[in-house]
Amino acid sequence: MTIPAPAASTTVEPPAVKTPETVGRSPGQLMWLRFRRDPTGIASAGVVIFFFLVAILAPVISWLYGKDPYTLYGQDTPGLLNDFGYPVLPNGGMSSDFWFGVEPNLGRDVFMQLVYGIRTSLLIAMVATILISVIGIVMGIVAGYAGGRTDYFIGRLIDLVLSFPSTLFIIAFMPVVENLFVDPSEETPVWLRAVTLITLLTAFGWAGIARLLRGQVLSMREREFVEAAKVTGASPARIIFKELLPNLWTPILIQSTLLLPAMVTAEAALSFLGVGMIEPIPDWGRMFLRGTQVYQNDITFLIFPGAALLIFVIAFNLLGDSVRDAFDPKLKR
Amino acid sequence: MKVRTRSAMAVLAIGALALTSACAEGNQGAPAAPSGSAGASAPAVEAYKAPTITVGTAEDSKGPAIEPEGVVKGGTVTMIDRDDFSHMDPGQLYVNTETNFSLLIARTLTGYKRTAKSEYKLVGDLATDTGTPSDGGKTWTFTLKDGVKWEDGTPITSEDVKWSMERTFASFITQGPTYIQQWLTDVDHKKAYQGPYDGKRLDAIETPDEKTIVYKFKTPHADANYAFAMGGYGIVPKAKDTKEKYDKAPVSSGPYIIKNHVVDKSIDLERNPNWDPATDPIRGAYPDKWRLEFGQEALQITDRLMADAGPDQTAFTFYATVPPERLQQVLGDPALAPRLMKSPSPYGNYYYFNLDRMKDQKIRQAINYAWPSKQIQQTMGGPAAAALPTTILNENTTVGYQPYDLFNKTTKPEGDIEKAKQLLAESSNPTPTIVYAYNQTPVQEQVTVVIKSALEKAGIKVVAKPLDRKTYYDSIGLTKNEFDLYWGGWGADWPSGSTVMPVIFGPIADGAPNYSHLKDEAITKKMDEITAMTDIDAQNAAWMALDKEIQETITPLVVAENRIANTLHGSKIGGAEIDPQSWVVQPNRIFVKQ
Repeated sequence: MTIPAPAASTTVEPPAVKTPETVGRSPGQLMWLRFRRDPTGIASAGVVIFFFLVAILAPVISWLYGKDPYTLYGQDTPGLLNDFGYPVLPNGGMSSDFWFGVEPNLGRDVFMQLVYGIRTSLLIAMVATILISVIGIVMGIVAGYAGGRTDYFIGRLIDLVLSFPSTLFIIAFMPVVENLFVDPSEETPVWLRAVTLITLLTAFGWAGIARLLRGQVLSMREREFVEAAKVTGASPARIIFKELLPNLWTPILIQSTLLLPAMVTAEAALSFLGVGMIEPIPDWGRMFLRGTQVYQNDITFLIFPGAALLIFVIAFNLLGDSVRDAFDPKLKR
Repeated sequence: MKVRTRSAMAVLAIGALALTSACAEGNQGAPAAPSGSAGASAPAVEAYKAPTITVGTAEDSKGPAIEPEGVVKGGTVTMIDRDDFSHMDPGQLYVNTETNFSLLIARTLTGYKRTAKSEYKLVGDLATDTGTPSDGGKTWTFTLKDGVKWEDGTPITSEDVKWSMERTFASFITQGPTYIQQWLTDVDHKKAYQGPYDGKRLDAIETPDEKTIVYKFKTPHADANYAFAMGGYGIVPKAKDTKEKYDKAPVSSGPYIIKNHVVDKSIDLERNPNWDPATDPIRGAYPDKWRLEFGQEALQITDRLMADAGPDQTAFTFYATVPPERLQQVLGDPALAPRLMKSPSPYGNYYYFNLDRMKDQKIRQAINYAWPSKQIQQTMGGPAAAALPTTILNENTTVGYQPYDLFNKTTKPEGDIEKAKQLLAESSNPTPTIVYAYNQTPVQEQVTVVIKSALEKAGIKVVAKPLDRKTYYDSIGLTKNEFDLYWGGWGADWPSGSTVMPVIFGPIADGAPNYSHLKDEAITKKMDEITAMTDIDAQNAAWMALDKEIQETITPLVVAENRIANTLHGSKIGGAEIDPQSWVVQPNRIFVKQ
């Protein structure tokens, strides 16, 4: 009776200590664990987040920095630009007042132009990417799951869109939109340009992701777990959302992370070709266009937007790579 | 893992590279003028010598043209420019590049023969001389040369010349000069006569025989022979007149035939076997073939001409001047000096107010005060590329020029916002909205940003409307256009003040150059009086006085910057020169060096 009862506690404790950690983890958690161990992934994620913060906080940066992207500083303040309209100071007019220099001729602040340009470009690219993903997912799954005639028609539609010369079409279509929707006495509204750009980028972008998902769904449709769900009387909606979709998240995520930088460059390219956002809305692509015109006398003006876009696109691509690796470790090189 | 580490390193490396290569040198002020080239100093206006034009004799009117030094015949020459010609029908020609092109394919009764640099003679082109006036200048008689033929070999007759004038009264002719038409009939010439297509002919032009043509004007016009030299009075064959369609496929009377025309892309010309140089005192026509390419911006054209590589050595441009981005480099490079042509614009350039829509003079004056002339000048490339005039008449081409400055542009070229605000406060609408239409070119897009920024400082909201370049003048030329302010250039059609004022403030019609739609009885009466003056000096002084009066009492426009052309040509191009009157590189003397 005098024996204490530590045994009870010892008998309880050992199994708790000794059992290996077989904690149930969701694929998402597993992915996150693997992703955390990947320094490239973390670094590129940091860069990407930084760019998004810059875009979101552009007005705050402008307020802290004390300048805006529209004022023509170089023209209002004598001594910043020479007679030919080029910055007088070396390195494109970089100084403590103008961190990235002054724009040639118009004399706007390059830093602010870049920050707001990133904002414009990222906003358009972001919306286009989300729309493309949603439309692509819906079309892809419907085509793959429904099969038959639906699959045939959606398949042909995808073929059509993929074979369409999208850039040429957008260049030709932009003026038409303007003539259709804009009254001659009104300026083309900024939102109209943005909406048209987003619509056109989406219209030509969804086919790729849809075709990919259709193939995935097609291969999964005949698998046992889908058969089992069908036998138990699950509705098509349940099968799509609860059985098929969870297995598709990997390709969807990877596709969209690769899509966003593609959209940023596409938007920049369109602005470069003159059908993107127009003056005076700051735009990344148009900065390039201007940069290529003046680089012989002012290389700095080309370098800042150039380096920024390069870093952003590479970081986002690396991020997409890391996400893919984290989801699917079997394919690791 | 390795692959990705390396790519991460690559990003760092590129970033570092970007930072190190960012050490570009500054652009300290304007570069000194390259030594050895006389006309290249920054204020080029001083070095500029206004052209002298005299009337030549029948002997001067005989072909062939005076050959440039070291001329070589043959070869293919390339002309690169931004825009295709929107019109080729002679009756529709009024834009300088278009009339310049028409020198290659169409002939006129008279024309300008270059005798030396900046020296020209008015001579007979199709006519044997510059015409014989009689009846105190009311009747003009021309005799056609022997051996002048159309491209199909049929002779050019006086009937063709008469037909060419009559057809310009037709309703489909919307551009083109209207002087002679008005002299023959009435100020509202299209009402007086509707063209020859319904069988009705114009009695004021007589053709006593195949070679003689007589014009009978309502009033005396001592300078009519100059008017006939305009490209807009080029001839059209009666037998092959296709009306509207002629604009696309003209029949040649000049030294070349259009072999191929891809709209907005290229035109290929080959020799017209029926053109005889012995009949032509104006056109040299030395190259065998011409290739005209369109669709390139001035910047690309300048880069091509600067690089001077391969086929571009035999290339030049009618109108693509060195853009602001390259001026510093081009003017600072002595190696380019021999290939650089320089000439201030003989035109008056204006930002016209549409008086039908902008009815308050106070607002128009306020805009004049707030106008950012200096900023626009800087955007265009600084004082080497543009001068800032303050008068309607151009100082380079006006005899007896008298400067005045109504809106303090000499003291405040950057614009007087305070004064503008003050005027706006007194006006009917202190915060007006104006629609500014502009030609959508890279430079104009930037200028628009500058204008918008300046006017918005004064409280004027600017709605900017980009217009298609090819149809820019057609759009602003509509009398019912929906714009308040737009740019327009106007050059004297022949050396006389009478070809500026009565035109830009003349009759209002679609396509007519009265873009401000100014209609003021007192002004019109005054202009008629001055036109009728016989003393040239008194006339010039009167035009200058009227210039100031119009700006004071009506303010129908903002005087725009006056551009200075700096144009390059390829190293194997000879005889290239900017024509001081039309301000384009004229094709008559161009040849290809071997």
